[in-house]
This record gives sequence, structure tokens and C-alpha cells, in this order.
Amino acid sequence: MKEQWRLLKTENNSASTNMAMDRAELVAISKGSAPPTVRFFTWKPAAISIGYFQSLEEEVDLDVCKKYGIDYVRRITGGGAVFHDKELTYSIVIPEDHFQIPKNIMESYGRICGALIKGLKQLGIESRYVPINDIVTNGKKISGNAQTRKAKTVLQHGTIIMDVDVEKMFSLLKVPNEKIRDKLISDVKQRVTSVKHILGEEISFKKAAVAMKIGFEEEFDVELNEGTLTKEEIELTNKFEKEFFSTREWNHRR
Amino acid sequence: MQSKSTYKVPNGKLLKIFLDYNEKNNEIYNLRITGDFFAYPEEAIEIIENKLKNSFLKKEILLDKINSIIKENHIEFIGLDAEGLTDGILMCLK
Repeated sequence: MKEQWRLLKTENNSASTNMAMDRAELVAISKGSAPPTVRFFTWKPAAISIGYFQSLEEEVDLDVCKKYGIDYVRRITGGGAVFHDKELTYSIVIPEDHFQIPKNIMESYGRICGALIKGLKQLGIESRYVPINDIVTNGKKISGNAQTRKAKTVLQHGTIIMDVDVEKMFSLLKVPNEKIRDKLISDVKQRVTSVKHILGEEISFKKAAVAMKIGFEEEFDVELNEGTLTKEEIELTNKFEKEFFSTREWNHRR
Repeated sequence: MQSKSTYKVPNGKLLKIFLDYNEKNNEIYNLRITGDFFAYPEEAIEIIENKLKNSFLKKEILLDKINSIIKENHIEFIGLDAEGLTDGILMCLK
């Protein structure tokens, strides 16, 4: 019998709830009170997440976020600012000593991205992993990923870009020099693509989640069983949201 | 004196440093290391920021100090390295 992992689908949560859920799963799984878990999720309202080491005010135009009702949050993972709008976001939480997870961090990025690449293939999209943390198709980025390791547990989360509005994204992000904003927008349009752009049609979250589920099952030779957060994880989610991800202290700490 | 640098680490990520230093003797008062790099464990960045306080802004000194902090604390960088961090800090002087 194949190893059984848990699958969570949590649509339309706020940025702080989403980041608190990932951290709650990390704590529960580090204590052995939940199995390895893959979660597919979306954001409501749309949100910007910044990497753990980034300066919020340096990267994000908070006035424009407020104007458009865009949420923002600091992640516990490194990496860059991401505009989470039309995408499928995933996270995987698994003990660091699980035999499927390479000890080497870069190798483990490649391995987990392998699941997404297989998922994209289910949608008819050929792609490959490009270190440090991207998946590209025809030379353009379709997925960005970020990993942390805490309490002997790996958390990697990332995006599958379903559709992208580069102009809107750049209205929310600060650019070093306003004169080059148009140039940056056209550069990013050259470098970033989406499932919709490649397939010529919109793919629902549900359909994308089915494809990605198969990708994870194939890559790790497991079965993903749809489940829910445990009571402990729900309590931890509430706690982390209240104490970290919704606070000014956390989000503005750099 | 307060200064800031933006430095694309060769083969790495974009580093943004905020530096407060004594311009008479080139000693660091305060340092904030930001950017889209990865560091394991993440808390290590605060250790580096604290341990570099009062350091002289000189390449060999900073590089040695950063390398020994990395070794002592078992820090792993991705998209950043000791040399890139040193260069990013020193760029604040230009």
C-alpha cells in the first residue's frame, strides 16, 4: 500500500490566515500529530506576500494596496515579493528526515518542483525546474517557490501562475526608479507566463488542483487523501494569525 | 551617517543594505540586511546584523567576520554568500 499523505484545499482565505495555516501545519507535523501534507489554496482578497528578509515598505506601495483592497503579509520563507491574484498556491509540509526529501536544500527544491512539473504536464504544459526557485516553460517563469526548514520539518510553498496582470502587479510594487517602470513591466512580461496564456483558456482552481494532486502523487509515489486541519492546527492557525501574520510588528519588522 | 545600497549578488539575488556608520572611523553602528535571498535558519540574519555592530568597514575584516559567523552558526545561504554580503555592505560607502 502506498504511503498516505493528507491533502487540504482551502480557498479564499486572507493572507494572514494562509500564512498562519502553513505555520500551524509545520508545528503539528514536526510533533508527529499530522501526516505529511500538501495544501492547495487561494487568496481573498488578492494579496502580496514578501519574503522573510525583505523590507515591506521598500518593496510594497502600501497606499496603492489600501486603495485597491489588496492584503499584504510577510512570509516565514525567504525569496521575493509575490502578487497572489489568479493563481493556485500550494504548500507541502513534511519531516526533514522523510526518505523522499533530499537533505540538500537545493536538491529538495528540485524534488518538490518535480511534483509541480508533473502536475503541469497533466494540464498539457511542459516545464522544467530552474535553480534557485523557479519553474519555467518555454523560457518563461510559470511558478516561484520558497522553502524553510524549522523544527526538523520542511515547508515549501509556491505558486502556479494561472493568469497574470503585470501592470496591476507593478502598481503595487515599488520600483527603484519611476522612469524605468515601463521598462520593468515589459521585461517582466517577457519573462513571466501563465497557464491561461499557454493553453489559451482559463483553467479553474478545481481542475488545476486535480492536476497538481496527480503530480504530487506521481513524484512521491504516495496517495493524497483529502482531509481537514486538526483541532490543534485550527487553534494554532488562530494563534499565529493573531500573534504574527496580522500584526504590524511582524509585517513591518524589516 | 546613514546609507543604503542595492546590489545584485553575482549568480544570486538582490541584496538591499541599510547601514548606519561612523564616518570618522568607518565603524558600523547599525546594519539591516534585506533582500529576496534565502538563509537557513532565517533567524541567522539577525545574528549577523548584531555581530557586525562596531565592525570596521574594510573588506578583509568584514569577510573574515561574516565567514566565521556563518561557520559558528551553521548558516546556509542560497542566492547570497559572504563575499556578496561584504560587497553589498561596502557599497553603502560609495
